[in-house]
Amino acid sequence: MSFYQATGLWFLLAASIPVIIHLLNRRRHKTVPWAAMQFLLKATRESRGKKKWRHYLILAARTLALSCLAFAVARPMVGGWLGWGAGRIDTVVLLLDRSPSMELMVEGATASKRALALDRVRDALKSMDATKLVLIDSASMSPQEVPSPDRLAELTSTRASDAAASLPLMVQRAAEYLLASQAGKAELWILSDLQASNWQVDDERWSSAVATLQTVSIPPTVRLLSSTQGNAQNVSLQLLGSQRIGKELVLDLQVQRSDDGSASLRLPLSISHMGAVTSETLEVSGQQMRFQKRIGVGEEKSQGYGLLSLPADANVRDHRVHFSYTAAQPIKTLVVGESGESTKYLAAAAAPQGYANQRAEVISPRDFDSKAGQLESYAAVLWSTNFPAAEKSQALQVYLEQGGQLLFFPPKQQEQGSFLGVAWATVDTAPSGKFFLLEDWRRDDGLLRDTIHGQPLLGQSLRAIKKQVVEKGEQGLTTLATWDDGTPFLSRLVRERGTAWFFSSLPDYTWSNLGDAHLLLPSVQRAVMEGASRFDAALLTEVPRAEWWASGAPLPVRVDAEDDPDADPAFRSGVYRINDRVVARNVAAAEHDPEIVAAENVAKLFGDVRFRRFEENATAAGESEQRELWTWFLLAMLGFLLLEAVLCLPKVLHSSHTVGSPVAS
Amino acid sequence: MSESLFDHDLLARLGAIPLEARLPMLGNVAGRHRSPHRGSSVEFAEYRKYVPGDDTRRLDWKAYARSDRYYIKEFEADTNLRAYFVIDHSASMAFGDRGMPKYQYASRIVANLAYLLVNQGDAVGLSVCRESLHREIPPRRRPAHLSLIQQTLQELKPMGETGLVEALHQIAEKISQRAVVVILSDLFCDSSGWEEALQHLRYRKHDVCVFHLMDPQEIAFQFDRPHRFVDLEDQTSLVVEPQLIAEEYQQALRDFLLRVKQSCHRVQADYQLVTTDAPLEPLLRDFLLHRLPKKGTR
Repeated sequence: MSFYQATGLWFLLAASIPVIIHLLNRRRHKTVPWAAMQFLLKATRESRGKKKWRHYLILAARTLALSCLAFAVARPMVGGWLGWGAGRIDTVVLLLDRSPSMELMVEGATASKRALALDRVRDALKSMDATKLVLIDSASMSPQEVPSPDRLAELTSTRASDAAASLPLMVQRAAEYLLASQAGKAELWILSDLQASNWQVDDERWSSAVATLQTVSIPPTVRLLSSTQGNAQNVSLQLLGSQRIGKELVLDLQVQRSDDGSASLRLPLSISHMGAVTSETLEVSGQQMRFQKRIGVGEEKSQGYGLLSLPADANVRDHRVHFSYTAAQPIKTLVVGESGESTKYLAAAAAPQGYANQRAEVISPRDFDSKAGQLESYAAVLWSTNFPAAEKSQALQVYLEQGGQLLFFPPKQQEQGSFLGVAWATVDTAPSGKFFLLEDWRRDDGLLRDTIHGQPLLGQSLRAIKKQVVEKGEQGLTTLATWDDGTPFLSRLVRERGTAWFFSSLPDYTWSNLGDAHLLLPSVQRAVMEGASRFDAALLTEVPRAEWWASGAPLPVRVDAEDDPDADPAFRSGVYRINDRVVARNVAAAEHDPEIVAAENVAKLFGDVRFRRFEENATAAGESEQRELWTWFLLAMLGFLLLEAVLCLPKVLHSSHTVGSPVAS
Repeated sequence: MSESLFDHDLLARLGAIPLEARLPMLGNVAGRHRSPHRGSSVEFAEYRKYVPGDDTRRLDWKAYARSDRYYIKEFEADTNLRAYFVIDHSASMAFGDRGMPKYQYASRIVANLAYLLVNQGDAVGLSVCRESLHREIPPRRRPAHLSLIQQTLQELKPMGETGLVEALHQIAEKISQRAVVVILSDLFCDSSGWEEALQHLRYRKHDVCVFHLMDPQEIAFQFDRPHRFVDLEDQTSLVVEPQLIAEEYQQALRDFLLRVKQSCHRVQADYQLVTTDAPLEPLLRDFLLHRLPKKGTR
């Protein structure tokens, strides 16, 4: 409940008048001599019953009647999200989360969460004529003064966007605005669905933003209109990655359902490639399903773009993904090792026959210096010799940080060198007639993970006579597969965008059967593909927020013919030309994460700043609609006055004692 | 000079109505009241058998002629009575809000009834009680005795607590002969001992009359704002809102009046509730008329 004329609440003091009169009357009593004291004492003892309560009820009725009058004068409003104590506000800074997740229409609603929230704000601000409204939206991030609440829905900066929101950054901007503008009594109104990826509760910027809010001369109140309801009918489509392999474009996709996924769902998947539209049926089982889509893109020098989409559902912004591709580039792998059986196996695994666009260059460790400066063009580097010396090691580290994949194999002998703190132990040979067996490996992560169809690799077929494990490593070295004696077979070290892998056996018949292709081929191919994906990554981006523009990047030009009038053209997904490159921009991956921040955690973020939260209930609009209540208070006042009148009516005396007549005995 | 308690106009109008005793009285001179003894009046009482020693002059010879037995013819003896007025002079009797103070009203009743009694040849005495029996004036039938009674009533001021019950017991013990005992009080005393005191008086064959005096405000209890009520007898005070307790007060008062009335009934005492705003003449006239013997009862 809020009050339009909060000063009228001062009239509440008048409610104490009946009590004061009562107390004064008790003090201003008249003293009379009295003879029949015994009846007075008895009556006083017996009157502590309903009559006393009746008297107090009369007093309460008078007090409540005056209180109701005071409330009516203050023009109370309920049903809105302003809550108690809104009073007069000079400035409202509206933080609008217009990320794609806010476009969800909850079940029973007729508009998106964003549209409903804007309506709610417009209604709330209608009764606040003198309040200045400043909008900070999650995409543009710039404060914008809004002349009238009615204009809110018309602004481009309140329309849907495909950019993810960053609440700590928005609050920081709001705090900076309030600090700079000296906005008087101000309030921050946040419209959000509490999506965890937007709120980033662990972000360090929260503390500085809240601290800035507290330094404002009149610390503002923060009001959050949250809308956390979901919709079980929503299906979203996400593009995880794309890679051109020869004449095909391989798209890694993910479908996510908001229902329980107990029944499989058949959906038409529409594919638009350079204007040609085809359709196929996609069967979705479970809540989340990953799949690959291969699209024939013709000649290796061709460029193009396209769109994949599912039917529109509860959220119109999360069921389409754009892609683009350029001319096919050969995928090169550098194999560094002495010539021998293992090196041949490694080269064959990196560029198997039939993979025309994959090439493997085999060089001796001594020739590595000539390649050290050109490593960025290689998808992966397979290193099967001693760790490189310092200057060579530096080149490999740079390669790693740029996103390269570096696979190390045992050098066959004990060596003193190390790479990123990792060193080789001595060669370990199995007892005669026995083998080292691969016992355990991660099936959900790493190079030995299951196939995309869920089938495991044949790890149990690996038998080794010799092994040479990494014996120490810096923090971050993760073991992904172990031998039966517990020593690591495969370890991983992530450095910046790249990954270094350490195998503890060789595809050499004197070492193991690793070269039988059960494990080596998929492992190396996965590393090569991962390394090659960075060449295509630049063609696949997320819709950026406004700071991207401020970074001086060139303005993009929309290439595809998709028209989306409901969205802000500056922040919508699509295919754009930037510096002669065709780039596909999609909804931020974080927007597909359905995790919601707990309300209590949100309240903690604001520390000592006054914080109030109102949960939007889109299906019960009547309850949350703001309306004035003064007529009800006037009626209540009349009711209390009527009650007081009824209680004050004198009771009819049923009998009286007759005096004066003599009584005969 | 105090105003006379006697209302001569009233007395002139009531003079024709005698104050009769309901019970036989024992007086020392002849009077208009029945005596328990047989005497020489003209009113026949009964026959009884002659026993040796009886005065032969009282033999009824006509009866002897009819029955051949000796009978003595007896006649009623008429005598005067002694009336004791017991007036409560405790502080509570000083209360008078809408009427005159209760003790003043009671004094007027005493004075005027005493005049009527002396006028018909009866003796009148006065007992004033406060915490106990405070003053006594023995009964006399001389008219000059009325001045003493009036003077006493006018001199005394109500004070102290009520000791009516103890006083009545003392009076019952002190009065040796049958008498009319007229009690005038607001009866704000120990209600349990009150009936015992009346029974004590009745046991001594006294004719008891009770004038129960109440101020109209004590009955109506009509106040419009909080009051501090100060007890006239012990000065304790109580602040109350009369509107809140009026109903309970009146209920307690009704219970009290009923108890008093019933206790009087049980001991066959005359009971009359008197409010101090009531005129005196109807009160006394009704009282006197009510005590007249009905036809054929004597």
